[in-house]
Amino acid sequence: MASENILVIGGGPTGMEAARGIADLGYKAILVEKRDRLGGTPDEAQYAALTPDLRNAEEAIGEMVAAVTDNPNVELLTGTTVTSSEGEVGNFKVKAVQNGSEIEIEAGAVIVATGFQHFDPGRETQKYGYYEHDDVVTLVDAEKLLKSGNFVRPSTGEKPKSVAFIQCVGSRDRQIGNEYCSKVCCGMSSKQAIEIRQHVPDCKVYIFYIDMRMYGYWENEIYWPAQEKYKVNYIKGMATEIIKKGDGLLVKGEDTTLRRPMEIPMDMVILAVGMEPSEGTKVVADIFGLPKNKYNFIETIGGPLNTVSTEKAGIFAAGACTGPADLEDSVSSAGAAAMKAISAIRKIGVPA
Amino acid sequence: MIHLPVLKAADRKFQANPDNAPTEDIREELFQLEKEGELEVIRVPEPYMEVKTKFGRIKKIPVEKTWHHKSCGQCGHIPGYSTSIFWLNRAFGLDYYDPTDQTSCTAWNYYASATSNPEAQAAVAVRNFAAAHEVGYFPLIHCGTSFGHYKEVRHALVHQPELRRKVRKVMEKLGKKLVLPEEVVHYSEWVLAMKDRIAERQVVDMSNITATVHPACHYHKLIEEDAIYDSEIYGAQRTAIITGTLQALGVNVGDYSTWFDCCGFGFRHILVSRDFSRSFSVQRKIEVMMEEVNPDIVVTHDTGCVTTLDQSQFAGKAHDKKVGLPVISDSQLAAMAMGAHPYKVLQMHWHNTDNTKFMQKLGMDTDKLWAEFELETDKIKRGEKEFLTWEDAEK
Repeated sequence: MASENILVIGGGPTGMEAARGIADLGYKAILVEKRDRLGGTPDEAQYAALTPDLRNAEEAIGEMVAAVTDNPNVELLTGTTVTSSEGEVGNFKVKAVQNGSEIEIEAGAVIVATGFQHFDPGRETQKYGYYEHDDVVTLVDAEKLLKSGNFVRPSTGEKPKSVAFIQCVGSRDRQIGNEYCSKVCCGMSSKQAIEIRQHVPDCKVYIFYIDMRMYGYWENEIYWPAQEKYKVNYIKGMATEIIKKGDGLLVKGEDTTLRRPMEIPMDMVILAVGMEPSEGTKVVADIFGLPKNKYNFIETIGGPLNTVSTEKAGIFAAGACTGPADLEDSVSSAGAAAMKAISAIRKIGVPA
Repeated sequence: MIHLPVLKAADRKFQANPDNAPTEDIREELFQLEKEGELEVIRVPEPYMEVKTKFGRIKKIPVEKTWHHKSCGQCGHIPGYSTSIFWLNRAFGLDYYDPTDQTSCTAWNYYASATSNPEAQAAVAVRNFAAAHEVGYFPLIHCGTSFGHYKEVRHALVHQPELRRKVRKVMEKLGKKLVLPEEVVHYSEWVLAMKDRIAERQVVDMSNITATVHPACHYHKLIEEDAIYDSEIYGAQRTAIITGTLQALGVNVGDYSTWFDCCGFGFRHILVSRDFSRSFSVQRKIEVMMEEVNPDIVVTHDTGCVTTLDQSQFAGKAHDKKVGLPVISDSQLAAMAMGAHPYKVLQMHWHNTDNTKFMQKLGMDTDKLWAEFELETDKIKRGEKEFLTWEDAEK
C-alpha cells in the first residue's frame, strides 16, 4: 500500500519550509536532519542577520523551527543520517541511522534539501592566506564576529581600522572549476560591510569585486545604502595575494578602473567564499541515484519552469542542493517541492 | 587571552580531500588508454614511496631503478647539482642509470616562444621515456623545466587522439613505442621522499643554519595538482618540496613575503631581457630574503632557479645592492649533510656567489677541503688522469 508520508531530508530553511508546507496541506512530513538540531547552515554557521533585510537570523530561523516543532503533522528525526533507499514513488523504503540505531522510514515521496557548504579557501586561493593569517577570515567567520557583537581583529582583539572584502573566492573561477556565480556573496558582503560600519564607525571598508551582482531589490536595499549612507568603498579589481606586513596585512592586486597595480595595507580581510554542494548533498544524491551536474549539485530536469523535479519519479530536490541559491530561492523552491511531492502521491491515490 | 567565535590561523586545519579535486586523475585515463591499446604505461618500479599531492591524492616515488634525465643548464653551469643526486644514490647503494643517449627536452625555447610545435615537443618527451623503458628503468627528471613540460605533454597526449597518432608515427620511425610514465617524478620529490633515510645518515649538524626556500614555478604552478603537499608543512597551503627536506635535516626555514614569485629566470626574460631577470632576481628575491630573514643560504630545486638566483648577484653587487647570499640545490645540501665532499662532489666552486662562509659556519675547513680537491685536479693537469672518479671523490 502506498505511503502517505513525505520524507524531507535536511533540516535547514528549505527542509523546514517544505515540511511546514506539507503539514499545512494536511499531509504528514517526516523531517530528517543529521545534526541534533534544526536550523541548517544559518544556525550551524551562526549567521547574525539575514540578507537583504538584516533581520536577526536567530529570530527568523527560530520561527521556522517553531513551525515544525510540536507540529502534529511533522515527525522530527534529528541526529539521523539516511543510509540507503529502495522502492519507487508511493513506496520508498529508506533506511537511516538514528543515534547509532538503524531505522526504516516508509514514504510515498521524498524531498532532498541537503543544501550547500561554503568554499574552503585552503583547497585553492591559498594566496589569500586564510590558513596563514589570523586576520584573514571568511564571510562565515565575519558573520560569527558580527553576531557576537564584538567585531574585532582575531590577532589582537582590537577593532579594525580598515577591512577589505574580496569577492568571488571559489566562484566564477575556471581555474578552480567553479565557473558559476554563487549569487549571495555580493549581497552578503555588502550587508556585512554595512554592519561593520554600524559596529565600528571609524573603520574604512572596501569591497574588491569583478562586478557586483545585486539581484532584484538588493540594488536599492543594500548596494546603494552601503555606498551612500555607510560610505563603503567599492573597488573594481581583484586581489591576487595577501601577505603579512608589520602588524597588519598587505593586499596586492589590480585596480582595473585606474588601470594600475595596487598594494593596500589592511587590518582585516574577509573572503567572500562561494557555495559548493554539501557532503550530505553528494552522499544523498548517490543513495537515491540522482544525477549530479559537473559541480556535484543535484540536477533537476524541468528547466526554469520546474526547478524541483529530478530524474526519479517521486523524488524532488529543493534549495541549495540544486545549485547556488539565496534564501528567497530556497524557501520558494521548498514550497514548489512540497506541492509537487503531494501531487505525486495524490496521483497514485493517497488521500490527505 | 581573547575569546572569539573565530579560530586563529594556527588552529584552522585544512584537510585535502581527493574527492573534491577540481581536476581529473590523469593516471586513471592513462590506464584506460592502455587498455584500449593506445599507449603503454611505464609502471613505477617497486619498492616505491608514497607521498600526497595537492588535493590529497597519492603519488608513487620510486626508490631505485631510476633513469636520470639530466638538465642542460645543470650540466653546463652547476655540475655538482647532478653529481650530488648520483652521490646520494650511490651512498644508499641504489640501482640507477645515467644515460648517455638522453636528448634535451627543448622546453626552454618552447616556453620562450622561440621554437617547436606540439608534435615535436611530445615526440621528444616520448622518445626519452621510451629510452628509459627500453633499459628497464623509470625516468627521474632532474630539471624543473623538463618536469613541468613533460607533465603538460602527458596531459596533451592523453587528451588529444590526433597528437597521439602523430607522435606514434614519429616513434614508429624511431623503432620505439608510445610510452608514458605512470608518474612524472622530479628528483627533488625523490629527495623529499628519502628525507628520513637521509637524516638517519646525517653527519653534518645543520641546526645553526637558516635557509630560505624558493620553489620552482614549473614545479608547483604547472599541473599544480601533481606537486607534493603535506598537512604538516605550511598547513598544506604551499608545496612541501624542499622545506620538508630541510626540516628533516634540522635546518631552520625562514619565511619571506615573495616566496611565490619567480626567481627571475622567466624563460623569455633570461634569453631576451636578461637585465630584467637580474634586477628581478636581486630586488624581488635576494634583497627581500636578506631584509626579512637574513638567511645563511637559499635552497631551491631547479637549474634555472639556482643559476638565476646565484649568478644574478654580481649585477646587484655592482650596484651596491644588498647581496651575497649563496644558493644551492636541495640535493647538494642533502649530500653535504651526509658528508659528500663540497668540492669533489658538490662542486661548490662552480657557484658564483661566495659560499665559503656558509660552509665554515657548518664547521668545514674550506681551505683544507680545497687543497684536497686541488690534489686530485693536479693529477689531471699532469696528465695522470682525464677526470675525477667516484673513488677520488671518496678519498
